[in-house]
Amino acid sequence: MNAWSNEREIIINPGISPVFVRMSMEDYDHLFKIVLIGNAGVGKTCLVRRFTQGLFPPGQGATIGVDFMIKTVEINGEKVKLQIWDTAGQERFRSITQSYYRSANALILTYDITCEDSFRCLPEWLREIEQYANSKVVTVLVGNKIDLTERREVLRERAEEFAEAQSMLYLETSAKESDNVEKLFLDLACKLIREAKQNSLVNSVSSPMPGEGKTISYLNCCS
Amino acid sequence: MTGVCGCCGALRPRYKRLVDNIFPEDPEDGLVKANMEKLTFYALSAPEKLDRIGAYLSERLSRDVARHRYGYVCIAMEALDQLLMACHCQSINLFVESFLKMVRKLLEADKPDLQILGTNSFVKFANIEEDTPSYHRSYDFFVSRFSEMCHSSYEDPDIRTKIRMAGIKGLQGVVRKTVNDELQANIWDPQHMDKIVPSLLFNLQQGEGTESRSPSPLQASEKEKEKESPAELTERCFRELLGRAAYGNIKNAVNPVLMHLDNHSLWEGKSFAVRCFKIIMYSIQSQHSHLVIQQLLGHLDANSKNSATVRAGIVEVLLEAAAIASSGSVGPTVLEVFNTLLRQLRLSVDYELTGCYDSCGNIGSKVIKEHEERQLQEAVIKTIGSFANTLPTYQRSEVMLFIIGKIPVPGMHPTLASAKSGFEGSRMIQVMLLKSLLQVTTGFQTTNMLTALPSSFLDPLLSLTLMEDAEIRLLVLEILVSLIDRHDNQPKFSSISIISDISVLKLRVDKCSRQDNLFMKKHSQQLYRHIYMACKEENSGQRHFETLYALLALISMELANEEVVVDLIRLALAMQDLALSNEDMLPVYNRCAVHALSAAYLNLICQLTTVPSFCQHVHEVIETRQKEVPFLLPESVFIENPSVPKSVDKLEGDVLFLQSKITEVLGGSGYNTDRLATPYVPQFTDEDRLSKRKSIGETISLQVEVESRNSPEKEERTPAEEITFETLKNAIVDSIGMEEQERERRRQVVEKFQKAPFEEIAAHCGARATSLQSKLNQIFEITIRPPPSPSGTITAGYGQMQSRSVPVYEMKFPDLCVY
Repeated sequence: MNAWSNEREIIINPGISPVFVRMSMEDYDHLFKIVLIGNAGVGKTCLVRRFTQGLFPPGQGATIGVDFMIKTVEINGEKVKLQIWDTAGQERFRSITQSYYRSANALILTYDITCEDSFRCLPEWLREIEQYANSKVVTVLVGNKIDLTERREVLRERAEEFAEAQSMLYLETSAKESDNVEKLFLDLACKLIREAKQNSLVNSVSSPMPGEGKTISYLNCCS
Repeated sequence: MTGVCGCCGALRPRYKRLVDNIFPEDPEDGLVKANMEKLTFYALSAPEKLDRIGAYLSERLSRDVARHRYGYVCIAMEALDQLLMACHCQSINLFVESFLKMVRKLLEADKPDLQILGTNSFVKFANIEEDTPSYHRSYDFFVSRFSEMCHSSYEDPDIRTKIRMAGIKGLQGVVRKTVNDELQANIWDPQHMDKIVPSLLFNLQQGEGTESRSPSPLQASEKEKEKESPAELTERCFRELLGRAAYGNIKNAVNPVLMHLDNHSLWEGKSFAVRCFKIIMYSIQSQHSHLVIQQLLGHLDANSKNSATVRAGIVEVLLEAAAIASSGSVGPTVLEVFNTLLRQLRLSVDYELTGCYDSCGNIGSKVIKEHEERQLQEAVIKTIGSFANTLPTYQRSEVMLFIIGKIPVPGMHPTLASAKSGFEGSRMIQVMLLKSLLQVTTGFQTTNMLTALPSSFLDPLLSLTLMEDAEIRLLVLEILVSLIDRHDNQPKFSSISIISDISVLKLRVDKCSRQDNLFMKKHSQQLYRHIYMACKEENSGQRHFETLYALLALISMELANEEVVVDLIRLALAMQDLALSNEDMLPVYNRCAVHALSAAYLNLICQLTTVPSFCQHVHEVIETRQKEVPFLLPESVFIENPSVPKSVDKLEGDVLFLQSKITEVLGGSGYNTDRLATPYVPQFTDEDRLSKRKSIGETISLQVEVESRNSPEKEERTPAEEITFETLKNAIVDSIGMEEQERERRRQVVEKFQKAPFEEIAAHCGARATSLQSKLNQIFEITIRPPPSPSGTITAGYGQMQSRSVPVYEMKFPDLCVY
């Protein structure tokens, strides 16, 4: 379903040449929705801020409900627009945040390497994903705050093992030092493009895209 | 830029030139109005170009957004808005694509100004009614983004408020746009509702916080200038949303509310939850209110193991919601509603007794706070009353029967209390259920006592097991009072006293109806006995005697015919005897109280009978008592520190009411003196008599059986051979076996009718009716032969007539007879 909706976004104006699309109507080739989840205080907002704005806001307050950021990146000459939904980690906002899982193409499940608790909650988060997210969703496990090496509580190997068992990608980042943040989002974008392309191959063979009928009107009225 | 445009202007298509011209040199100047008119005119005259115009405008706009030229962005958006408004519905479909793309572009921007600009345009668009369907349009992003804006945490509080309000307006717009269009994304799907509803509630809740924080006067005056606070706007939006919800959508709209209240722990505080559900109940279409109630009940069940405060919060909300929904609150499943509430009551009692939520006492179980459970129980009982109040009379008596059926009466019903809670548990449940029953009966007014209070209801209520405990006894009396009181006379008898002239009470009395008379014929002895036995109980307090007085008074007002009056006077006299003789070793206080009760009641009834000599006798006795033994009058007994003597033996003469005297004075007025002269002895009902005299009865019937069996054969065989000790013994054993079988059979029948679904019982009865029908048919066939035709030649017309008029004996009983 996700792949399908992406497809739709891309050829929303069929009939206009791809070049024209890129220049004017749509400023991207792919659009992906990425949702960040994880316990409160593990640094989700900081990761997003670092990636989208290049900042590390010290004393970042707790997110209320959901936060939204957008960033367009270029990968292999394709413009990829990333819609990033940064959710509140607090329990009380669980119902609103859960409603955002469903439409996500990718989930970034974040924990704090200096906080054993945030790691131990991961199975619970996986259950939530299982329950609310799309079955094709790409999940990345991220251990944040690697700048605080001396306070590390969760060993890298342990997390890697866990991620592998759950067939997730794993990455350790530091929003403060900007370690691996770019890589996290760009790798994710690459993976999403690959998957989208695979899906579009399957889809384009099987079903015609809705809204294709519009092409005719465009062809007719050259001024 | 302008230079480039100027040089290739001639080559550019006309629509592009027109669009370019609306942008001024300096964005500060705003939209070039004259040129905008030209563009609009062009778009109207060549609607096929509209989508191209839209595409070009949006292209310019996204470029301007990217280059941070916000002045031009605003101008482009204004132009888009104007075109949208000016153009006809049929032609905007494709144009809308570009329009929405631009709104989206603005919503994606960081700048709050642009977000708000985009939202405003979207709201304008949302208010246009399109008549062409747009299958492919998706509002997912808008719902997500507007919901996110509702939660904005922008640093500047003013801007934050603006963004949040824009979010709310946007959501309102999406709802308006999609709600009536079946072809579009169903806004009622959980994926949307789960975003929209919590976002609205979040803002509603925020409003509560800020309202309490009183702003400084200067701010307040500024705020007054503004049209609406976010909370007010939210409430309006929420109401609009709910008002549009159809039957099938209610669930999806209410579920997120329940979730939100759970997650934000808002049940405990009550006020917000109540407010939410008040909004819901007032906004939804009234025929759907029972759905909300059902969901709340379901949620209560789901929270069975949650803390008492949470459950109490839900119950509180239920109470409010039921009051608002009034007649529509219960819906088709009346008993299910009460069953759920009673189950919660039972659970709470269990929790209170066992002290934990799990029978096995898990480690995770929280500590139970007894007083919280108590509060919950009170709330549930209140809610039961509130629900019952919305029911029509016949359903209310059904509910009363249902509740009484749940009361654990040893010997009457299988005990419901779990073994572990034991005696105390069943006592507490009795108290709780009787309290609920009292709530249900309050305000219950039936014209037909006989059907409203069948034996199946009165028997367990008046059973002796509910007599021993003082609290339970009082509850039963209060229930009786509220059942019998149909003219709101009860408050006039709330305290017990000698009233010298009862006209001051302004009692309202109707003539006793035929059904009432029948009811009394059937149940009066049971009631009298109950009153009499209640006087005998040692652990009675003032409240008991007051209630007994009210009960006696109300029976005489509501249900009295001549016979009943006579019986009541006998009862009052019997109470006096009871206090005098003291066979039951009652404490002195009780004996005085019974005296006082009987005096107060006789004072009332003598004035109701309006027999002057009767009044005189009662008056004399009371006067004498006032002088000599004031402690036998309510005024001295039913006070805070009654002064009663050490002993009340040796009372005689003028301080007592005399049966002979009363018989004499009433006989003169045509009352049944024979009956009056016989002292009252509590009579037991058929059932009690049966159970007490069973052994005797069996013996007699056995004798008869033996005799009848033997008499025709006496001549042939000697009785010595026939009746031995052994045969007698066998006969007895047999009959006991038979009796047990019979009892078992009865129990099965009763159980069947209690447990089987209505349809099954109806079918069963229906089957019997058909067999009756066929039997009748057989009989009619035998007895009534068709009349022989007079000449043997029957005309066609006559034949038709015959077939049309069905003879009486061929008529089918209507199905209703089954019930």
